[in-house]
Amino acid sequence: MPIEISNKNPLLEMQKITKYFGENRVLDEIGFNLYSGEVHALLGENGAGKSTLMKILIGVYRADFGKILIDGIDTTDLSVSHRRARGIAMIFQELSLIPNLTVAENLLLGREPLHAGWLINFKSLRLQAQKTLDAYDFPIKAETPVEKLGFAQRQMVEIVKALSSGARILIMDEPTSSLTSSEEEKLFNIIRSLKMKGIGIIYISHRMAEIFKISDRISVICDGRLLPTQKTLDTNDIKISELMSQGDRQDSLAAQFKPKLSDQPFRSRLTVSNLRTSHKLKSGISLEIAKGEVLGVAGLVGSGRSTLAKALFGLIPDAKGIVKVDGNCVKLGSTTNAISAGFGFVPEDRREEGLIIHHSLASNISLPHLKKLQIGGGKLPIIFSKSADEMFNYMRKYLRIICRSGKQQASELSGGNQQKVVFAKWLAANAKILILDEPTSGVDVNAKEEMRMIIRNATASGASVLLISSEIEELSLTADRIVIMIDGQLGRSLPAGFSATEIRTSIQEDVHMIRKEPVL
Amino acid sequence: MSSFLSQTDLKSSANNIISVLSKPGPHFTYILFFIVIGFFILFAPNFATLGTASAIGRITAVVTIMAVGMTFVIVCAEIDLSVGSHVSFAAMVAGILLYKDLPGWLTASLVLGLGAFVGAINGIIVTKLKIPSFLVTLGMLSVLRGLALSFTGSMPVPIVNRDYVDVLAGGSMLGVPAPIWWTLVTVVVGVYILHFSIFGRRALATGGNTTAAQFSGIATDEIRIAAFALCGVTAALAGLVLSARSAAGNPMLGQGLELDVIAAVIIGGTSLFGGRGFIVGSVIGAIFIGTLGFGLIVMGLSTNIQEVLKGVIIIGAVSLNRK
Repeated sequence: MPIEISNKNPLLEMQKITKYFGENRVLDEIGFNLYSGEVHALLGENGAGKSTLMKILIGVYRADFGKILIDGIDTTDLSVSHRRARGIAMIFQELSLIPNLTVAENLLLGREPLHAGWLINFKSLRLQAQKTLDAYDFPIKAETPVEKLGFAQRQMVEIVKALSSGARILIMDEPTSSLTSSEEEKLFNIIRSLKMKGIGIIYISHRMAEIFKISDRISVICDGRLLPTQKTLDTNDIKISELMSQGDRQDSLAAQFKPKLSDQPFRSRLTVSNLRTSHKLKSGISLEIAKGEVLGVAGLVGSGRSTLAKALFGLIPDAKGIVKVDGNCVKLGSTTNAISAGFGFVPEDRREEGLIIHHSLASNISLPHLKKLQIGGGKLPIIFSKSADEMFNYMRKYLRIICRSGKQQASELSGGNQQKVVFAKWLAANAKILILDEPTSGVDVNAKEEMRMIIRNATASGASVLLISSEIEELSLTADRIVIMIDGQLGRSLPAGFSATEIRTSIQEDVHMIRKEPVL
Repeated sequence: MSSFLSQTDLKSSANNIISVLSKPGPHFTYILFFIVIGFFILFAPNFATLGTASAIGRITAVVTIMAVGMTFVIVCAEIDLSVGSHVSFAAMVAGILLYKDLPGWLTASLVLGLGAFVGAINGIIVTKLKIPSFLVTLGMLSVLRGLALSFTGSMPVPIVNRDYVDVLAGGSMLGVPAPIWWTLVTVVVGVYILHFSIFGRRALATGGNTTAAQFSGIATDEIRIAAFALCGVTAALAGLVLSARSAAGNPMLGQGLELDVIAAVIIGGTSLFGGRGFIVGSVIGAIFIGTLGFGLIVMGLSTNIQEVLKGVIIIGAVSLNRK
């Protein structure tokens, strides 16, 4: 089934694509091509640059250097709509259909057939849409409202919508993330039939198994650089995993500072037993973190790791179970209780959850400590902004936050410095347990290193850390112990010293074990 | 680590207060303000007199009091359209309680408490049922107007309690009329709560980014409910002052005031999208609207044209202040 591609001209060619965000080079001379009738898989950790590259391809961002050729024609300067006209379409993770309209209305949105030029001809709308659906052999009725369709069917409609507007290059971003395994099989059949029709597909996924099932070639993007593209038939999942870890710099500063925790007696700081939520964590989570320990949580995106973090921090009202900090029970479902018990939370989405982006840095870090910042440490109910400024200046020196002053708006800082401000918010409170959800996503390599140092310093002064990360290398460098989380359940627990490749293999094995899928 | 929590000395406290008061909002508010005043001084006969200032003060007092409360609601990225009919409602309740021979102080306290209660109901519906405040308070506008009219079959209730009228509107202290005193008290309390109290910081955070505020341990629903309650209290206080001034509870007393109040807050530099607000700015906004109305009367323009001009200036001010 894999097609011979060597002697054809590529459908799409991206040459030396380079992109800076401020001072940070997020893409470094990326060369990526796609042939007609090919599925080219794109892999990489979160923040490696996959989505930036795709945004450049569909025209949302402009590359600072480099060229994009479609059918050999330079399209680098085209806008999103002109790109679309050239045949590039992206199938989004969050589908972009309007749920209360029918399939037909969605497919022909903005291009509806009209009676006498002004009244929508619903009959011809339905027939035209049905014809398109039939042409791709999709068993969907055009008059069905989209909200009545399952995810796989919605995805089909989305694909047909892209194809019917002339798409020849389809970008699929984690297309199976919300599909059941039978729906997944349907999607793969569709992809195979699209290949026969000569459509080129860029397939982004974390799931190794499906990449080997469906792709013709595989490219790995790592810290903004593209590693050499491999033919799927010439490689296997172990080799790809190794390739993904190649980009790491093993001489990590933080790794040198990593203390031998196993030498110390285990003194429990946080005990969680049978923590459940009605949504993601149905089967109950139990874990324990020692004083000064970094517990890493590995697993796939959507496995319930963020839900665990939010439940511990009191952000999920229906969370049940027992959470003890230093032996004292913490009432769940209240952030106030969580904070006074000593929790601090660095959320996944820095701009939406971590910071008030248009407020000053000082006011951002002061939010959990307003009582203490009152005159005389809380004796009088009056706050002057000076005390928040002082607190900020202290943390600014401690974490080396690069900014003009505490009065500067958070939005003006780089990603790494913004993240330090979120850390500062909780470090200023001497938080006992820091919950970090993807703390280094979207920050540059140096800032990542600094984050690891901050985590190390915090644990050295007695804090415990729950570190959720999709960057396996980061977990391997930073965590004293790693637990794997799959579909809301905890898998195995790995002691420190496992390499990134070993951790990846363990995750794959746990996925198969928990989902009871056969190992490929 | 406790070094940065040191006692703040007196001098720097004063500097802190001055810096808050001297930066109440965008500078264009002042520019617009001085242009308009300059215009009236040049073109309106006898505008630049003490009498004018005192008249504008009296006109502006009620809007200023309400604008202080409204600032909290808008800082939380909400809106309260019910304040105008809340004024009428509070005035009617006060009139009826005084008619039943309740003492003035008790009447005033009950009406203020009721104001907080009505405001809190707005807030509870907005936060717990997750209905936009625009719709909830539009409904409340109708409810309160209907109640105010139905108490007496839309007849005004005369107020004969001399003390009540003197303390709230008729009397004066140190040569300054009572409504100005009540306005000053409201403004000082408002400045304290918004700029120097925990609640104010939390309200600004809630309006700036509700999710991030929640993730910092702030109970944003409770903050919003309290902001609506504060707004209700100031509307009730405005109702008390107006009823005392006209010596009657009148069910039409506050009609249309919500527009002036919201405009004052926005002109004063408070962001309609929440997260940024200035009490002193709202005061200046209220004085601006009062001056505009008064100046246009002095120039002999009809009230209808005034309405048009006021609307245009409000849209202009808001469009310049869209952040």
